[in-house]
Amino acid sequence: MQILTILIESIIVGLAVGFAAGVGAARMFNAPTVQALGAFRTLGEMNAAEGDPASHFSFGLGFFFNAWASTVGAGAFTQDITHRVIPNWAASILLLKNKNVAETVHNPKKMGIVSGIIGAVLVPFLNVTSASIPASLQVTAVKVLVPAADTLINMVMPILFWLAAIDAGRRSGLFGTVFGGVAALIMGNAVPGVVLGILVGKGVDELGWTRITRIILIATIALFVLSGFFRGFDINMLKAFKVGIPTWLNNMHSVVTPK
Amino acid sequence: MQDDLKDLEHAKSFWYADWSFPIIVGLMSMGVFAGTSMYVNYGVGAFNEVAIVAMLKAGLTGKSFGPAAAFGASFLFARVLEGSLVGILDLGGSILTGVGIGIPAIMLSMGLTAPVKNFPLALLTGLVIGIIIGLIIFFVRKYTVGQSNATFGADVMMGAGNETGRFLGPLIILSAISASIPIGIGATAGAAIFYAWKKPLPGGAILGAMLFGFFFPIAV
Repeated sequence: MQILTILIESIIVGLAVGFAAGVGAARMFNAPTVQALGAFRTLGEMNAAEGDPASHFSFGLGFFFNAWASTVGAGAFTQDITHRVIPNWAASILLLKNKNVAETVHNPKKMGIVSGIIGAVLVPFLNVTSASIPASLQVTAVKVLVPAADTLINMVMPILFWLAAIDAGRRSGLFGTVFGGVAALIMGNAVPGVVLGILVGKGVDELGWTRITRIILIATIALFVLSGFFRGFDINMLKAFKVGIPTWLNNMHSVVTPK
Repeated sequence: MQDDLKDLEHAKSFWYADWSFPIIVGLMSMGVFAGTSMYVNYGVGAFNEVAIVAMLKAGLTGKSFGPAAAFGASFLFARVLEGSLVGILDLGGSILTGVGIGIPAIMLSMGLTAPVKNFPLALLTGLVIGIIIGLIIFFVRKYTVGQSNATFGADVMMGAGNETGRFLGPLIILSAISASIPIGIGATAGAAIFYAWKKPLPGGAILGAMLFGFFFPIAV
């Protein structure tokens, strides 16, 4: 009975995600004049396999196996399902009939319909096959994957993004370092801060201090101030420095988080 | 077909116009948010990397939702800004991580379980969130940029993001080895076989670890 529920829900989810992924990917070939939804790596990879249905298919297939293993192990599809498997398989099916890329892969309508069908088959397949896996296997997978993932998220990712920010120029290195440290303090992970540092640093490198870059910088600082406040970082910091907490600040907190 | 090509020039049809963008983002968010709902209910169906889903899992198993919420929400914020500027909204950061992990984590941490756990409600919640995100991008795009050609370091972030994926394989093998000797051997052999087949390491390491974990289970 539960399998049936999972099956029906998966078809709905797969149809919606597949359709949107297909339309979004095809629109990428028309960006920036058309606002698209996708990823730079998808754009690059699809360009690399352009025109050859077999390349598109096998590229998707390699990531499909990885995604399947990950779904069986931890219930997570990996981002490759939307980034790589669905768009590339849709492209390969369309290219079988018509080799003209502009009329097939770059066409949001055709990509959307074919991708929707692929999603409606793929998502139920992944979910049903993994839901029928014995619990002992999932325990093993979680015991292995969770520690690995923790290290990846908390150490490897921040360091790689940080080094990339430093290598990208003095400005993004400086903003990345400051925002990265602040993000790690407030949010517990440095990656979002470093990403925003690169955004601001490279934005100023490319555009100078225009209205847009100033808005981004102000929005970033507002993001830090607000999330610091809502997570009670200000109170914790004052306590750690052994400074008394002003009454007005305590009052503000009790207004926002009534307990 | 001729009509579609003509529409590209005018950019007014559903398939190419900016006004339809919120609908597309809405559908994507609907599916991804409902996928997370399925993950919460059945343990399968989350549209994200194992590493990122693990943060949500930490919250579900009684630890804090804080990391997942902060990570997802700040990624969403950065990607929405970037997406309207660059012309490509990054699906992974904005929808898969932001809407799929960050927003459910925020809702669950506030005790709002119904929109996440109830499937039809999850579809509706995801759709509304996606349409709002799409509208924000539509208006930011309309009133600020469109003219500038800056990439805002998107290439730098993409490079670092892709580099991160390469670390997962070795990390899984090391983690498997510290779980138990048989699982460690399985993960190593699986990863080696996948590498020989020119497939990404993590898939082989996971399958190998699970195969040996099935025959030599670890005590919970």
